[in-house]
Amino acid sequence: MDQRLAELVEELTTSGEAQLEPGRMRELKKICKSSDEHISYAYHLLMTRLNEEHAEIRFSAFQIVHELFTRSHQFRTLIISNFQEFLELTVGIDHEQPLPPPKEVAQKLRRAAIKAVQDWHEKYGEAYKKLSLGYHFLKQNKKVDFQDVSARTLAERRREEEKQKRLDNIYKEKAERAGKEMAEMSQEIADTLTEMENCFRLLMPDPFDFTVNDTELEPNKQTTANEGKPASPSSSQIALHPSYFGHVDDEQPCCSKDLLSVSQCVKIDRNEELSEEQEKLEQKELDGGTHSELGSGVPALNDDDYQTFVRNHGLISHKYTLDLEISTDIKVHENEDNTAIINNIMDAHRLLRNKFLPTVQSWIQLFTRAGINDDRLRCAIDLKNKLEIAMKKYKEMNISIKERKRKVMKASDAADDDDDEDDEFVEVPEKEGYEPHIPDHLRKEYGLEPPSPPSAPARETSIGLAPLSSWARPKGNEDELDPTCAAATLKLIRDKLPKLSPPYTSKSATPEQAALEEPDSKIRKLEEERAKAPIMPFGLDLHYWGQDEPSAGKILKVSSQHRFWAPSEVEEEVENKEVTEMLKTRYITFAGKFEPVKHKCRAPMPNGGLCERQDRIKCPFHGKIIPRDESGIPLNSEDRAREEKMQFEKQAAQPEWRDPEFMREVEAATGVDLGSSKNNGKGGKKKGKKKKYPNLTDLKQQANTSRSRLEKKVFNKGAMKRVVKAMNRVDQRKHEKFANQFNYALN
Amino acid sequence: MLGFIAARQAGLDDPARLRRAEATRRVLSLELNKDRDVERIHGSAINTLDIEPVEGRYMLSGGSDGVIVLYDLENFSRKPCYTCKAICSVGRSHPDVHRFSVETVQWYPHDTGMFTSSSFDKTLKIWDTNTLQPAEVFHFEGTVYSHHMSPVATKHCLIAVGTKSPKVQLCDLKSGSCSHILQGHRQEVLAVSWSPRHEYILATASADGRVKLWDVRRASGCLTTLDQHNGEKSKASSEAANTAHNGRVNGLCYTNDGLHLLTIGTDDRMRLWNSSTGENTLVNYGKVCNESRKGLKFAISCGCNPEFAFVPYGSTIAVYTIFSGELITMLRGHYNTVDCCVFQPNFQELYSGSKDCNILAWIPALREPIPDDISEKSLSQQHLNPAYEDAWSSSEDEG
Repeated sequence: MDQRLAELVEELTTSGEAQLEPGRMRELKKICKSSDEHISYAYHLLMTRLNEEHAEIRFSAFQIVHELFTRSHQFRTLIISNFQEFLELTVGIDHEQPLPPPKEVAQKLRRAAIKAVQDWHEKYGEAYKKLSLGYHFLKQNKKVDFQDVSARTLAERRREEEKQKRLDNIYKEKAERAGKEMAEMSQEIADTLTEMENCFRLLMPDPFDFTVNDTELEPNKQTTANEGKPASPSSSQIALHPSYFGHVDDEQPCCSKDLLSVSQCVKIDRNEELSEEQEKLEQKELDGGTHSELGSGVPALNDDDYQTFVRNHGLISHKYTLDLEISTDIKVHENEDNTAIINNIMDAHRLLRNKFLPTVQSWIQLFTRAGINDDRLRCAIDLKNKLEIAMKKYKEMNISIKERKRKVMKASDAADDDDDEDDEFVEVPEKEGYEPHIPDHLRKEYGLEPPSPPSAPARETSIGLAPLSSWARPKGNEDELDPTCAAATLKLIRDKLPKLSPPYTSKSATPEQAALEEPDSKIRKLEEERAKAPIMPFGLDLHYWGQDEPSAGKILKVSSQHRFWAPSEVEEEVENKEVTEMLKTRYITFAGKFEPVKHKCRAPMPNGGLCERQDRIKCPFHGKIIPRDESGIPLNSEDRAREEKMQFEKQAAQPEWRDPEFMREVEAATGVDLGSSKNNGKGGKKKGKKKKYPNLTDLKQQANTSRSRLEKKVFNKGAMKRVVKAMNRVDQRKHEKFANQFNYALN
Repeated sequence: MLGFIAARQAGLDDPARLRRAEATRRVLSLELNKDRDVERIHGSAINTLDIEPVEGRYMLSGGSDGVIVLYDLENFSRKPCYTCKAICSVGRSHPDVHRFSVETVQWYPHDTGMFTSSSFDKTLKIWDTNTLQPAEVFHFEGTVYSHHMSPVATKHCLIAVGTKSPKVQLCDLKSGSCSHILQGHRQEVLAVSWSPRHEYILATASADGRVKLWDVRRASGCLTTLDQHNGEKSKASSEAANTAHNGRVNGLCYTNDGLHLLTIGTDDRMRLWNSSTGENTLVNYGKVCNESRKGLKFAISCGCNPEFAFVPYGSTIAVYTIFSGELITMLRGHYNTVDCCVFQPNFQELYSGSKDCNILAWIPALREPIPDDISEKSLSQQHLNPAYEDAWSSSEDEG
């Protein structure tokens, strides 16, 4: 029964679950009930479980203790006789012995233990003196608040409070500062906002804000009255637009294409009716302000008025309904007249977006965090709202800006400004090194050869030169002036060509002949090859291409200037082989193209799978890769034979008495690791590594962070040894080097 | 017991014998009794306790917050359950309270009308018990670790004071001045104790590992310095010469008859010395855990056959027999380090004060009434307290 008890306790405590398994618990209780001996045995078992450095084990053990505590007097006496240790292990009253990880479970254990101690104290405190002492100890010395669910210790609570206080102070300070800042800045913000608002108004009055338009409508009406009646529908349309959409284009009323097109239905309506109704409509607008429905304004007039009204206006009925849709998606185009405004508005917007809005937002954040709930916060929120409205408005404006070249504009502006002051500056077209055409007489000045092979005869020039020149031309001619450019080299080569390679010149001298003589196919072939040839970047080797004696590789020694003393013989020029080589050679890596490996090793592995490695030729584990079928058996018969042979040899190498089965049995019986698991290869090893209690949280697993892994590598004994050795070696070397100097000899 | 009484009645035994046997039995059965409680007054660690030797009724306690409390230990309620009441206290609000931790309190040995207390605030105060006012205050240059007044002195009224300075000061109550300085220690003096046998003999223990015996009439130095090796090794190594312990010596206590001296040090050892010859008796007590930085107050029983020492041992109290060095039992009950304990000789009770602010009373367990038969016993036990009952659920499945 003792055996069973131990098993039960172990199973229950290693389940890793928050609740005890009721079946096993019942059995445990039954056993404990049978005699006091069992209870004391259970007590010892549980205490050892409580001593485990794993919060889950402790938690489960504590739960069992709680169950038994309420049931058995004997158990109570035992627990209370060692109550200090019990509290240390469950509540964690000792600073040097904190509760083990995982942290959440430890918290849970702590909470449960405190609650249990309280319950026990209420129930048994009188009878068991030490229990009440422990309870008072927790309450008064450890300041455990039994009401506090989170069961924090006094120190934790105080620390938290202090932190909170400090934070509060910081926030308050920040909020004060922000308040001051706000007081300073709000004026500026308000100014910017007003500026922006005014700009908006100038650009495009609010379509619903008629008070703005009121004053301006009269002259509009005049114009429409004057022009609209005789005019075609289109003209009426033009005339109308300004009245709705303000005076963006007041100066050029006919330029309707600059305006966005008013939605189509309105146009049609107008086209059909407006020419007649215009005046009335405008009147309507003045009257009611609602332009969506004609009828809405009507009932104010009486019947007579209707009649006269209808008649006066030549209408058939007064029941017209006129729907006007005013498109709100406005688009403002920039033109000469509103450039300044738009510039202004954009600047203001930028200011708003980049500076004011973030600042105001940060203020609000600060105020809310500091818990300030007065005018300052309200003010900040107001500001933010205003800013946001302004931003929204700006977005709605959809200002399309002309592609502007700031520099040019500035230049022109400057030119405009300066016009009256300094006229002696003659505007010249900009010159930036590139001149598309160089007159012939100037070519020499530019360092270019005279245009001997012009484009027209180029057709007949040698095939050798043509592609070259065509390759070089697209690059700016000014490149040739730059000695680091390929073009310059090319020029050099071209200059030298005649004297350097007489056969070549002869060939090029008779271009027509060559072209004629060579068969077409050959030419084509040559061209093909050329196309195939890689274009190499310019390098030193090309720089010295064809030079017989490049001077760069030579080292010039200065002969001694001394009057009497002179070195025996000085070779004034020493040729450095390496440098000369370097100047004449070029390394071209020819790696070829990467082809991913498609095959797998597929050798059978002890765990039954196939090797998944994709090596090109040889698998590091299974040797040369050979074709295999699905089950990993080699296709070629000799391969198969070889593999079988190897298998056989391997088995033979193992002595008979080390039969893995037998070994395992022996190990189980004696409890000594004889290494059967190692012998068995990887499969066995894995089995040996299996976790003892799979249900518990693996503490080591949690410690397996990148840091710990690195630590394992870096602080590895072997690695440390290696590093020490290397450092010693360095020291040693230094020592050897300077050993003959007394200064270094001693260290 | 009955045999002892019979023998006593017949005059066969020495009269003290029955007494000694019973006292020993009671000491051996000391336990934490739920019937006896000491009122919870202190809000911080309790450094020192003292029971007045006249009646054995009043107990003083000194806390590390400077509070001194006076308890009445006697139970006049005629009930087994009793909480020792605090009669009065020198609380934090008292105008003359010690500003820092009270290290030692001691009753005036001949009368309860006066007691003394010394503290880390560098003072030693003489209190009038009835008015609870300090009658005299001595100021020192260093913090006071310990003081002691001779329990047997009739010719002098000296208080020996161990302070942070290596000099032991003797304060004369008659003149109200520091009359003597005993020089010899090299570090602070952690414990002082007068011999209960010779009124001029004083033992002092210091952090330099030495215990010195003085005759205060002699001006020229100490009588002896106790040597743990009894002079055998001291010739070879001058460094370890004449040390009683290898660490600080922070506890000192004479046996009741004054023939032996018990010292305890931070080398986790306890040593018993012959106080007349200064010889180490080489009793092995094993490891006596001692991590205290200050003085440690332990107690020795009185009137038992083998005498017992009650020594704070971490959060427990170890009970040793003095002469054989045997560890009898560990008294577990405190939840933090025990600082002091004091033995009440009349009723064989032990009081202990600890850092967990508790004063625990260890009372001899009552002799269980010998029951007539088994059933009655179980019945009585059941009736004793419902909390002792087992609460297994009756149903078989539930368990």
